[in-house]
Amino acid sequence: MAVKKRKERAVGGESGNSKKFKKYSNSKGPMKKNKNDKRKKGKGPRLPSALRTELDRLDPKIASDSDDGIDLDVGNDVYEYEEEVPQEESRKNRRFDPVENYEYELPEDFEDENVPSDEDDDDGDFGVGGNKGSLNDDVDASDGDEEEDDERHLRMLQGVTGMSTDAFGGKKKRNSVVISEAHPESEYNPTRDVLEGDSHITLQDLLDPIQGKAGYSKLRKRVQHMDRKSTSVQAPLPKVDREKLERMAVYEHSKKDITKWEHLVKRNREAPTVFFGGDVDLGFSTVGAIASEFEPRTEFEKKIASLVYDDKVMEAHKADGSKLLELNKISEEDYMKHQDHVAKMRGLLFRHEMKQKRIKKIKSKTYHRLKNKDKLKVESAEMLMDPEAAKEQARKQEFKRAEERMTLKHKNKSKWARRILERGLNAQDEGTRAAMAEQLHQHALLTRKINTVKDSSSSSDSSSDDDDEVSNEDRASELLEKAKEKTLKVLEDDEEVPNSGVLSLPFMVRGMKKRKEEAIEEAKLALQEYEQLEGTNDAENSKPATASGRRVFGRANNEVPDSNKKTKTDNKMKMDNYYGNSDSEDDLKAKENVNIEGGKRNDVEKDVGPNYDRKEAADVSIFKNFEDNGDPGSKTTYEVAIFASDSRRKMKSENGIDKNAKKLQQVKEAIVHDKDMEEGEEDSDSESKQMVDGILSSAPKESYELPSQSELIRHAFAGDYVEEEFEKDKQEILNEENPEPDKPVLLPGWGQWTRVQQKKGLPWWMLKEHEDSKRKREESLKKRKDAQLKHVIISEKVDKKAEKLQTKSLPYPFTSKELFEQSMRMPIGSESNPETAIRSLNRPEVVKKPGVIIKPIKFVEMHHHEKSEDNKRSGQKQKKNKSKGASGKNKKQSN
Amino acid sequence: MKVKVISRSTDEFTRERSQDLQRVFRNFDPSLRSQEKAVEYVRALNAAKLDKIFARPFIGAMDGHRDSIKCMAKNPNYLKAIFSGSDDGDIRLWDLASRRTVCQFPGHQGAVQGLTVSTDGSVLVSCGSDCTVRLWNVPDANLADSDNLSDNSAKPVAVYVWKNAFRAVDHQWDGDLFATAGAQVDIWNHNRSQPVNTFDWGADTTISVRFNPGEPNILATSANDRSITLYDLRMSSPARKVIMRTKTNSIAWNPMEPMNFTSANEDCNCYSYDARKLEEAKCVHKDHVSAVMDIDFSPTGREFVTGSYDRTVRIFQYNGGHSREIYHTKRMQRVFCVKCSCDASYVISGSDDTNLRLWKAKASEQLGVVLPRERKKHEYLEAVKNRYKHLPEVKRIVRHRHLPRPVYKAANLRRTMIEAERRKEQRRKAHSAPGSIVTEPVRKRRIIKEVE
Repeated sequence: MAVKKRKERAVGGESGNSKKFKKYSNSKGPMKKNKNDKRKKGKGPRLPSALRTELDRLDPKIASDSDDGIDLDVGNDVYEYEEEVPQEESRKNRRFDPVENYEYELPEDFEDENVPSDEDDDDGDFGVGGNKGSLNDDVDASDGDEEEDDERHLRMLQGVTGMSTDAFGGKKKRNSVVISEAHPESEYNPTRDVLEGDSHITLQDLLDPIQGKAGYSKLRKRVQHMDRKSTSVQAPLPKVDREKLERMAVYEHSKKDITKWEHLVKRNREAPTVFFGGDVDLGFSTVGAIASEFEPRTEFEKKIASLVYDDKVMEAHKADGSKLLELNKISEEDYMKHQDHVAKMRGLLFRHEMKQKRIKKIKSKTYHRLKNKDKLKVESAEMLMDPEAAKEQARKQEFKRAEERMTLKHKNKSKWARRILERGLNAQDEGTRAAMAEQLHQHALLTRKINTVKDSSSSSDSSSDDDDEVSNEDRASELLEKAKEKTLKVLEDDEEVPNSGVLSLPFMVRGMKKRKEEAIEEAKLALQEYEQLEGTNDAENSKPATASGRRVFGRANNEVPDSNKKTKTDNKMKMDNYYGNSDSEDDLKAKENVNIEGGKRNDVEKDVGPNYDRKEAADVSIFKNFEDNGDPGSKTTYEVAIFASDSRRKMKSENGIDKNAKKLQQVKEAIVHDKDMEEGEEDSDSESKQMVDGILSSAPKESYELPSQSELIRHAFAGDYVEEEFEKDKQEILNEENPEPDKPVLLPGWGQWTRVQQKKGLPWWMLKEHEDSKRKREESLKKRKDAQLKHVIISEKVDKKAEKLQTKSLPYPFTSKELFEQSMRMPIGSESNPETAIRSLNRPEVVKKPGVIIKPIKFVEMHHHEKSEDNKRSGQKQKKNKSKGASGKNKKQSN
Repeated sequence: MKVKVISRSTDEFTRERSQDLQRVFRNFDPSLRSQEKAVEYVRALNAAKLDKIFARPFIGAMDGHRDSIKCMAKNPNYLKAIFSGSDDGDIRLWDLASRRTVCQFPGHQGAVQGLTVSTDGSVLVSCGSDCTVRLWNVPDANLADSDNLSDNSAKPVAVYVWKNAFRAVDHQWDGDLFATAGAQVDIWNHNRSQPVNTFDWGADTTISVRFNPGEPNILATSANDRSITLYDLRMSSPARKVIMRTKTNSIAWNPMEPMNFTSANEDCNCYSYDARKLEEAKCVHKDHVSAVMDIDFSPTGREFVTGSYDRTVRIFQYNGGHSREIYHTKRMQRVFCVKCSCDASYVISGSDDTNLRLWKAKASEQLGVVLPRERKKHEYLEAVKNRYKHLPEVKRIVRHRHLPRPVYKAANLRRTMIEAERRKEQRRKAHSAPGSIVTEPVRKRRIIKEVE
C-alpha cells in the first residue's frame, strides 16, 4: 500500500508543481494530500486504482504526462466523454491569479508551518514549477508520514484495547525494519497471503508477534474470553419493520390507556337517565349570602342602615348586649307623654264602646230599617266613588250567594216555613204569605247565577233531591200539572202543514195526519191518567214504576204485589239483591215469600200452576210423580223443579237439588240450601255435589225403586237437546271461520246451447276447483285446535282490534316475552301513580338544559367500593350519575 | 234530617297563591282503573300523531356565501357562533340567533378546506388549498352582538405557508396543538410557523383528521387509500390503520365514549368502531342513499348527525342501525358539512347551494321556555310513546317520513339490490358443501384488513 501511495504521490508531484510544493516536501501528511489531489482533480471519470497502478507500471511516461493522457487513452473506448481543457490551462478567467505567484518570495524569517494536511490543495496550483521532488525525498517524506500513521494507529489500538503502548512497540520497530516489496501490489504480484489461499487476517496472526511482550497474557485472556462468548451483533432491522414494531407498541399502549374510560362509559350507558349541564352556577344559594351583598340604595334604606350600623349600636351588641339597655333609656318627660297618650286613647275607645252598646240595645225596627237604609246609601255612594269598595261589595254579594247555595236557608227549609206549609198556605194571613213569597224570591235571586250556568243539571238534581224529601207531594202535583199543561198544548196545537218541500207531498201529509191522531189519542189517555193520579196523591204513586218492571210475568204478577205489600221491607231487600236477574228468579222469589209466610202446599201448587202451562208435559208428569210420593219435603222439590225448568244454565246445581229432594232429608235444611243457591250460584254448586255423595250413600235404604240416574236426568231434561245445540253452534262457528265453498254454478244461458252440453253438466275445471276448495277446507278443519276436542270450541278468528295491541315478533332489546310484557305492565301516568314516583318513571334518557354547553367527558377515578358494587349489580345507578357523571363539571360558559 | 257532607280540612286544601292548582287526592288502586293501559296506549298513539303534526325542524337558512360551503366549525365556548368556509376562500362567522354574518375573514386564495376553533374559543384556525394555515383572533362575543357592521372583517394573526395543500384541520381539546391533513399529517403549535411533528404512513393524501375530545392526544385520520389511521401524540407515532373497501370521508369521535368513533363512508353507511378492536365495526348505520360527506357527534354522545351527497341530513342513535330522523328541503343541495350545536339541541348543515341551514335536533321539540307542568306533560307523553313504540300502529306513525322522490327511489333500489345479493348468497350457500361458504357479517364485510 505504502509503495502505491508513494508512487502516486510521485506522479502527483510531477503533474502538480507549485511553489508551495517545496513547502509540502517537508510537511507531513501528504497521503491525505494525494487523496485530495485525486478527488479534486477528478473532473472526468476515474479508473479503478488497480488499473491505474498497472498503467503506471507499464507506461510511467504517459502517466507522468498528465491525468488527461490516461483519460484520453483509455477513455476513448470506454467512455463517451469530453474533457475540456482545465481552467488553469485555458486561462479564461483570472481566478487563479498567476502574477503574484511568480513574484512571490519567502521572507527571511520564514519558517515552515505544520499545516494540517487537509489544507493541502495543490489542485489549484499551476503546473509552473518543475519537478523538484526526487524519489528519495519522497521516500523520506513517506517515511515520516508512515511514522505518524503508526503513531496514530498505536494510539487507536491503545484506546481500543486499553493497553500500554509498549505492547505494540515491537511491531512498530519491526515495521520500521520491514522493507517494502519490490513491486507494487497487484494481481501480478500477489501478496503471500493471497498466494497461500488464506486471505483473512485472524486475530491470532495479530497476536503472534507480540507474544512474550508485557500485557500479552492479559490480552490473550481477553481474546479467549471473547472467543468463548462469541455473540455476533445482529444487523439492525430494516426501517419498515422497525416502524411496524414501534406502531404495535404504541397501539398496545394507547389501547391500554383508553381502556381506563370503560367504567365511566359503562355507567353512562347503563344509567336510565344521563344528566347534562346539571350544576350550572346560579350564584348565591342562601338568603344570608344574598343579604350580605345588600347595599342600601333608597333614602329610607340608607336611614335604616345608618341606624343599624351605628357605631354605638354595634359596640353595644358586641359586649353581650348589656350596653343596649343603656341605649334604651327614656327621659321622664317622654315617658309621661307616652302614658298620657295611651290613657287618652283608652278613654276614647271606652266611650265608643259604650255608644255602640247603647245603639245595639235599641229595639225599634224603624230605627234599624232607617239605619240600614242609610248604610246602604252610604255604601252605594261609596261604590260609585271607589272601585275598591265596589269590589268588596261584589265579593260580599258573592259570598252571600254561595252561602245560600250551601245552606238553602231561604228555601222553605226553616222550621217556621215548614210549619206554615204543613198547615197550608191558604190558611195563613197576608203577611205570612208575603214573607214566604219574599223568601222564595230571595232564594231565586241568590241561586240565579248557578241556574244560568248549568240549568239543566241543577234542575234535574233538584228534582231528584225533592224525591228524597218528605214534602214531595206538592212537587208531584206540580209535575202533574205541568204534564197536563203540555199535553193540552199538544192537543190544542194546530198542525201546520208545510206548503213546500217533501212534507207537502200528499202521502206525507196523510201519514202525518195519522200520526197526529195517534198522538192525540195517547195524550187523551195520558190526561185521564193524570187526573186519576191527582185524585190519589199518596205513596202509592210509586207503584206503577215498580210494577212496570214485572209486567212480563202475566198471571203470576197478580199475586206478587200482595205478597209485596205484606212483607214490604223484606221484598225490597230482595229486589236489591236480584236486580238484573232473570224473570224466573223473580217468580221464584215471589213463591218463596209465600212459603216463608207458611202457606200450604196447595198454595204453592196454585202459584206454580200458571207457569206450568207453558212447560212440556214430561215436566208435569215428573212433578206429579213426586207428588204421589207424598213426602214432607215435596214442597221444596216443586220449587227446585220449577227452578230447573226455568233456567237451563243452572242445570248442574239443579240436578243436585233434585236428588236432594228425592233423598228426603230434612226439609228445612233443603230450604236453607235453596236460599243459599239463590244468593250465590257457585256456592250452591259445591254444596249440591256434596249432596250427591249423600245420595249415593243412603239410596239403598229406600223401599221405593228409583229410576236410574241417567234415566232420571233424561226425563228431567227431555226437552233439552244441549249436545245437539252445542254441535250446531260449533258447526256454525266452523262454517263462519272456514266458510264452505260455493257450489259451482253456471251463469244461466252459458254453455246451454245444446242438450248435449247440458247433459254433460258442469265443466271439469269447475268441479275440480270445487273439490279442491272442499279438500282445503277439510284440511284446515282438521288442523284446528279443537278438531279432536268434542266439547270445546276454540275460536281461531283473528281479532283485528286485539291485533293492534300485539307485536308480531319480540322487539329488539327484550330477551323474552315476559320481559316485554313486564315493561308495560303498570301504567306510568299521574292518574295511577303518586307524584313522587312519576318523576322517575317518566324521566327521559337524556336530561339536558337548552342553552347550556355540554363539555366532553372528564375522567373520574372510580373508587374501590364503587368498583365492587359495580361488579355485583350494574343496574341501579341513576342518581350517582348526576353528581359524578360524565357531564360532571359543566359550567355555564356561554358568554 | 241529616245531610252528610264531605269534610275537608282547610289546611290541606288552602292554596298558598291564587295561581296554585287545587290539590287533588287520588286513589291509586289499580282495580279502580282497569282501563288504564288502554288509555295510555291511546295516549301514546296520539302523542305520536302530535309529534308528526308539530314536526317543524327547519328554523332558517343563512345566506351569504358565494360558493359552496366546504367546512364549518363551532365555537366550543360560545353557543351562538358558527364559522363556515366556502370554496371561494371566504370564511364567515355567523350569529345563529339572528342568522346574520357577524364577521368575515378574508385572505385565503383558494378553497377553504378546514376550519377549527381552539377550546377556549379565542383562536380560529383555517387551512386551504392555497397551502396556507391561517390563525385568526375570534372577535369578542359582546362586540359581535353590537351592530357595528362597518368593521366586520378580520386580519389573520399568523399565516403559515407550507409545502402542500391542506384538506382538513382539527384542534386539540384543551391544548394548543392542531393537526392538519394533506399529503401528510402535520401537528402544529400556535406559535410555530412549521409543524412540530409530521406523520407519514402510506403515500396517499389524508382527507380528514379529528382529535379525540376525551383523550386529547389521540387522533384519527382517513385517507384517500380508503384507510382510517389512529395516531398517538404521546409517543408521536401512528398506532394502527384499518383499510376498508371504500373511502372514509369523515370521522367523529364520541365525546362521551373516548374509545369509540364513527366514520362516514363513501358507501352510504356509517361505521362505529371501537378504537381497541378495529377488526370489525361495532355498528353499521345504514339509511343514506349516497356517500356520507360529513359526520358530527352530538355533545351528549347519544346521537350523531350526518350530511350526505344525497342532499339529506340524518340523525342516528349512537347504537342504532337506522336513522331516527331525516331532514331535507327542496332547495338544499349536496351537504358537505354538518355540525351539532354545543347544547345538543340544534343541527347546522352547510351545502352546495351556498347556504347554511339551521335545524332542530328534535323535530317536534317546543322551543322557548317550557313551564314545569308543560315539561312534565311532554315527558310523560314521551315516556308513554317510548313504552308503546313497538306496537305496530305507533311504530308505523313514528317511523313514517316523507322523502324526496329521488331519495325514495334510490332507497328502494338499494334495498332491492341488497336483497338480491343476500338471496344469491343464500342460494350459493345452499348449493355448496356445508361450511364451505361462510357469510361474513356486515360489520366485517366492508373491512379489508387491519394494518399494524
